[in-house]
Amino acid sequence: MNRSVLIIGLIIVAAIVVVLFAGLGKDPQHIDSPLIGKPAPPFALKSVNTGETIDLESLRGKPVIVNFWATWCVPCYEEHPTLVANARQLPNVQFIGVVFNDSEDKINQFLAARGSAYPTLLDANGKTAIAYGVGGVPETYFINPAGTIVAKFEGPLSTEQLQANLEKALR
Amino acid sequence: MIATFFLMALLQIKVPDAAQFVGQPQGTPLSGPQLERKTMEISSELRCPVCQGLAIGDSPSIMAANMKAQVRELLQRGYTEPQILSYFEKSYGQFVLLKPKFQGVNALVWVLPILVLAIGFVLVVSKAKKLETAPVAAPPEEPIDDPYLARVRDLVEKP
Repeated sequence: MNRSVLIIGLIIVAAIVVVLFAGLGKDPQHIDSPLIGKPAPPFALKSVNTGETIDLESLRGKPVIVNFWATWCVPCYEEHPTLVANARQLPNVQFIGVVFNDSEDKINQFLAARGSAYPTLLDANGKTAIAYGVGGVPETYFINPAGTIVAKFEGPLSTEQLQANLEKALR
Repeated sequence: MIATFFLMALLQIKVPDAAQFVGQPQGTPLSGPQLERKTMEISSELRCPVCQGLAIGDSPSIMAANMKAQVRELLQRGYTEPQILSYFEKSYGQFVLLKPKFQGVNALVWVLPILVLAIGFVLVVSKAKKLETAPVAAPPEEPIDDPYLARVRDLVEKP
């Protein structure tokens, strides 16, 4: 066989193998957020628990953890106790739950059965979730006291993961 | 849309607005069949974030329905197609665009197939030319050890 053809063939095969290894090892649902390092999109949504409107901009000055979830999301059941426990232990951090495509009744039933330690806001048409680039639930955004998104976490958070990401918001 | 606006104002609800991301609308507000056609067109260019490679126009997921509804609303408000694509890109990154932009590493998606095709074409043509021009060499005469073959050759070649 012609030596140059063999070398070109090997280069092409090597490139394909590298691309496949790099691509197949990734989570296809993972989205790198372009919002990291950018100001958090502002929102003011009604709290399902209290009925009052929570404005994100009024929370400037302290770290904010915005957790997108829904009652139809199974991993959210697993994550909820972690968020509630940490919210109770960290009074200087503002936790916010944002629920989209869900009903108030179902959310209230969920919170009554599993406890609540922070406001849960209803994003009725999912516009807030879209502005944050939410690709699935649960998904959590960590915002520093200046109002900048510093981290995004996809999937149910453990206490260690929550605190590691919160560290970035406290720097 | 107007009723929703008043209800939101009454409840003091505020959701992130496209104007914060891509500025004021630069086109004319669409309605009727034109609005539906353009909504479908843009929906076929945006990837559903919760599906595997499906456009929001083809996905039955709630997230895709929300995104499609937002595309329609933005068109009704006069946002142009590049503005709408840019709005979603600012939230989801280039991941959301089913047709990758011709920039950075993504440019390889466009360039590489053409480049590989061109290299292949050049290789085939040069190989074909070589085959065409190279004289067909006569096979070297080999000494015949086989006495039977030698006898046959003698019989054939003798006048």
